[in-house]
Amino acid sequence: MKVSCKWLSEYVEVPSDTQAFCDKLDLTGTGVEGVDESGAAFIGVVVGQVVSKEAHPDSDHLWCTLIDVADRNTDGQGNPEPLKIVCGAQNFQQGDKIPVAMVGAVLPGDFKIKKGKLRGQVSMGMNCSSKELGLGDNGVDGLMILPEDAPVGMDFARYWGISDRILDLEITPNRPDCLSMEGMAREVGAMYRVPVADVTAGVELVEDDQPASDLCTVQIADPELCPRYTARVIRNVKVGPSPEWLAERISAAGARPINNVVDITNYVLFLLGQPLHAFDYDKLDKDDQGRANIIVRAAEQGEKFTTLDGEERELISDMTVIATPERAIALAGVMGGLETEVTDETVNILLEAATFSPSHTSRTSRNLGLISESSIRYERKVDADRIERNADFAAALIAQLTGGTVCKGAVDEWPVREQAIQLKFRHQRFCSMMGADIARSEAEDILTRLGCVVADAGDDVLDVTVPSFRPDLEREIDLYEEVLRLYGMEKIPSTLPGGRGRVGRYSEAQQVVAKLHDTLRACGLNETMTYALANPEDLKMLRMDGCVSGEAVELINPMNADQSVMRQSLIPGLLHSVAHNQNHGVENIQLYETGAVFAAAEGRKQPKERQMIAGVLAGAMRAVGWNVSPVPFDFFDGKGVLESVARELALPKVQFRKIEAQDAPFLQPGRAAQMMAAGAVIGWVGEIHPLAVDAFEADAPVVAFELDVNALVKASRLARDYEQVPEFPPVNVDVAFVVDEDVTNGRLVQCMGSAGGKLLASVQLFDVYRSEERLGAGKKSMAYALEYRAADRTLTGEEVEKAHARLVTKVSKATGAEVRG
Amino acid sequence: MAIVDELNALQAETLAAIEAAQDTAALEQVRVAVTGKSGTLTGYLRSMGQVPKEERAEVGKAVNTVRNVVEAALEEKKSQLGRAELEARMEAGAVDITLPGRSQQMGTRHLISRITDEISQIFIGLGYVIETGTEVETDYYNFEALNTPADHPARGMQDTFYVVDRSGDVAAVRGESDVLLRTQTSGVQAHVMERQEPPIYMIAPGKVYRRDVADPSHLPQFNQIEGLVVDKGITFGDLKGTLDYVCKAIFGPDRKTRFRPHFFPFTEPSAEADVSCGVCGGTGHLHNGERCRMCKGTGWIEILGCGMVDPNVFAYAGIDPEVYSGFAFGLGVERIACLKYNVPDLRMLLEGDMRFLRQF
Repeated sequence: MKVSCKWLSEYVEVPSDTQAFCDKLDLTGTGVEGVDESGAAFIGVVVGQVVSKEAHPDSDHLWCTLIDVADRNTDGQGNPEPLKIVCGAQNFQQGDKIPVAMVGAVLPGDFKIKKGKLRGQVSMGMNCSSKELGLGDNGVDGLMILPEDAPVGMDFARYWGISDRILDLEITPNRPDCLSMEGMAREVGAMYRVPVADVTAGVELVEDDQPASDLCTVQIADPELCPRYTARVIRNVKVGPSPEWLAERISAAGARPINNVVDITNYVLFLLGQPLHAFDYDKLDKDDQGRANIIVRAAEQGEKFTTLDGEERELISDMTVIATPERAIALAGVMGGLETEVTDETVNILLEAATFSPSHTSRTSRNLGLISESSIRYERKVDADRIERNADFAAALIAQLTGGTVCKGAVDEWPVREQAIQLKFRHQRFCSMMGADIARSEAEDILTRLGCVVADAGDDVLDVTVPSFRPDLEREIDLYEEVLRLYGMEKIPSTLPGGRGRVGRYSEAQQVVAKLHDTLRACGLNETMTYALANPEDLKMLRMDGCVSGEAVELINPMNADQSVMRQSLIPGLLHSVAHNQNHGVENIQLYETGAVFAAAEGRKQPKERQMIAGVLAGAMRAVGWNVSPVPFDFFDGKGVLESVARELALPKVQFRKIEAQDAPFLQPGRAAQMMAAGAVIGWVGEIHPLAVDAFEADAPVVAFELDVNALVKASRLARDYEQVPEFPPVNVDVAFVVDEDVTNGRLVQCMGSAGGKLLASVQLFDVYRSEERLGAGKKSMAYALEYRAADRTLTGEEVEKAHARLVTKVSKATGAEVRG
Repeated sequence: MAIVDELNALQAETLAAIEAAQDTAALEQVRVAVTGKSGTLTGYLRSMGQVPKEERAEVGKAVNTVRNVVEAALEEKKSQLGRAELEARMEAGAVDITLPGRSQQMGTRHLISRITDEISQIFIGLGYVIETGTEVETDYYNFEALNTPADHPARGMQDTFYVVDRSGDVAAVRGESDVLLRTQTSGVQAHVMERQEPPIYMIAPGKVYRRDVADPSHLPQFNQIEGLVVDKGITFGDLKGTLDYVCKAIFGPDRKTRFRPHFFPFTEPSAEADVSCGVCGGTGHLHNGERCRMCKGTGWIEILGCGMVDPNVFAYAGIDPEVYSGFAFGLGVERIACLKYNVPDLRMLLEGDMRFLRQF
């Protein structure tokens, strides 16, 4: 809310130090978002008095003057002497008060005032005319002569009333009272513990003899929609421009002056926080007794209504309208109607002052996308108790400024009256919850200044009656906040919670996840973060649509189509990052990310969220170095990462299974594997299908993996068992099997494992060799280093030979292998 | 005693040869020639049988003496030459130690995770545990259980992404829904209080979403850390002390904090906390007198929202506010990234640019 300090100071003393005032507002709960100092154009212009006037020695029309500007006096050398100013005007006398532009001032037309010399005489500024100050031609040839009581040395802008400070305040949703000058005056009064004047003083209501009830009736169809509605009639108004003071005030508050009637409704809104609506009485339908019958009712579903802005709107039954029996005339709390608006020709006015249901107003305003100064106040609750006073004030002001007369009485429907809220303030409890001793008298004073009625209930307890304009004060705790914020949070001593001792720690699952991260980083991968908001086309581009479970989670109000669903895989985001890097000349990319993927299902409110961990590798681990020649990434780099994960998390019974092309169209056929641990699926690793990589405008090959974090956590074992460190030496035997291409390493290792018996301690593949010439087409030689060992003795050659011969026989038989000699 | 003379001559000759040997290979030649299988001295030993019996003892003694002397000389010369050769080898093996080492690439932690880790550690030290929650949340946990009922004006403080509700429920306002992307991690509070008895000391880091256009200082997806304490006798002073400790731990011991009253539906009293500006030292202006741009001349930087848990929130969770009190807070991780690491454009955090990621 925009608050004019000049206006505010009509009711309460406002500190002249803007920064200090803003700090105090900030520290008592009213955020200051900006300060606009109007009158800045007159910085350096002050009220001066002519001390002496002597003819210039070298001119027949210039004067050498000495001008007293009180504490601004200076001779330019730091001495407080009256200003020496050479002046060409003729209309002034010694003793006159005049506006003086001192050195440094900038007058309209970007006219900078500098220290200068005029025909040899020093001049420390300029005595000003009205025109020179941009205040127009006042018909005087020469200086602007100010009244005798003008205070010497005062800023001219302040003296002339053109200086103001407009504060842009952040009023939190719990404080509807502060959306008015009256409320802000009360707040400032409480902040500084100073008195506050009645903002409605000086406006007297005078009524004529015509009872308003003969001219209109009010009926509230549903009190829940509208707890109170009053109508006043003002006749014979003359619509025209507002007086300057009114236009100035509502402009300062951010409204555009329109005409006196509309401006007064806005003025009362800003002054008292009471939204008003003025209908052109003569445009309202009348009954057979000539009365306008106002009905507050729910809108009909599909009812059409044209608002002030000329837009026809389709209403729903959740909205409230003000109507006559024939038609709607206003959208309650949000906007008036075009047909009955006040125009320059309007003579008689029906003035609405009411309060409407906050929640209905909020929904209506959101449903229509119409947020107005009125709707903001209604949805925060307008004080029903003060409507009468507010309506009277508004009617009186309209009569006063438009020459109209106010009909006798208001038509006031008030079906639901709320009881004043009574609260206990347990002083001791307050102190112990704040952690400070705050005197009870201080709490009493603060609450009283905020408008509460406070009585001593004994036992260190206060009885507090809350004013109707503070709907946010509903509970004892709300009073605590009021006292705390005005007492000063900075005065509460800082402590740490004591308690009976507690243990902070990461859960086991969190420890596993931390280890997972450590492992991926130890593998050289860099953690990244991408959007969980995704493009619905991403999965298709990746050829992964059909491979994910559930439906996409769709946003109702996305910012753009690119981010209109929640991701179902981490891979698209990572591939976008691969493309980003490659487009920026970064070739070696090793990224990983953890985060949720989302799957919706029909009939279910919330989607399933699964935590995944995924990585992409493109290029190589590093650039070519003087002593390293990095190998480009392929499938085995991805698999190697997963093997490290398996080892670090001590995953049991890890297996990699071939994925068939049709089961994962997003992966390159033949370079894709599923990772299993203890029979459960952990995830996949593979090279992204070149067509998919291409769709993301990245360069293949891109190796990727995506694993289910919960499956990893479940399978991992934090505790490990000790295994005996070998005591006796091994016997190493190398063997090379020549097999058909379709015999896998996995198959050979499995056969060796089962054939080798207890003595086979380890199997290590050290060479894969193909040669059509030497081995034949479709054949390969797989060479393994085998280690035989017994835990309790040194093996004899004979034992090893026997075991190895059995192994070779069995493997050959099972796989068709031949041993390469 | 011709043989003994011969032996003495051999000894002298051999010692001279040893002395003359330039390297271990030459020395080895000498050794082979004298004490090898068919060496000259070995020859004497072999022919001992032909020496007359009465001379044998004397000759034998002489042969042994010569052998001992020769072997000792060989040994000494060998070690001497070996050392010289080692020196030479080492000299030849000296490297330019400014050449890059042979290191494995270590991966890096994302800045947001790094800050989250750091803050988590601080709270673990204060005896907190770490909780998590889902990112797609119901209206109930994101708003209602946090004392923000439907149509509450505070909902307008956050621009919410709504999600298609597949349960068939219809929202009261067009374009809204009972299912949404959480706008704050505060919902985790409600879940935790529902399932756990006090005392509760927890933080909950996680992603949140608001309808903001991505620009250098806004992202529609960002990260918060929520905190909640519920125990007997928790005071507003405890809230201040805890957050003051945490801010000092994050930003440095000479930073100050201040608390400005504010409004959040789920805390009462509520406050925003500021930390003193690190650029201008909290003065609001730089050494050259210019206004500090970091804090816009105020000397303070807003860092988090906090407050005492509202009794209505306790009521939703079935906790008796006459017995327990507590405080809650929420801070933005990206904001700390900006303040502490001077990240100029938040969008970099989500681009995955290796040149950015590998700085941290």
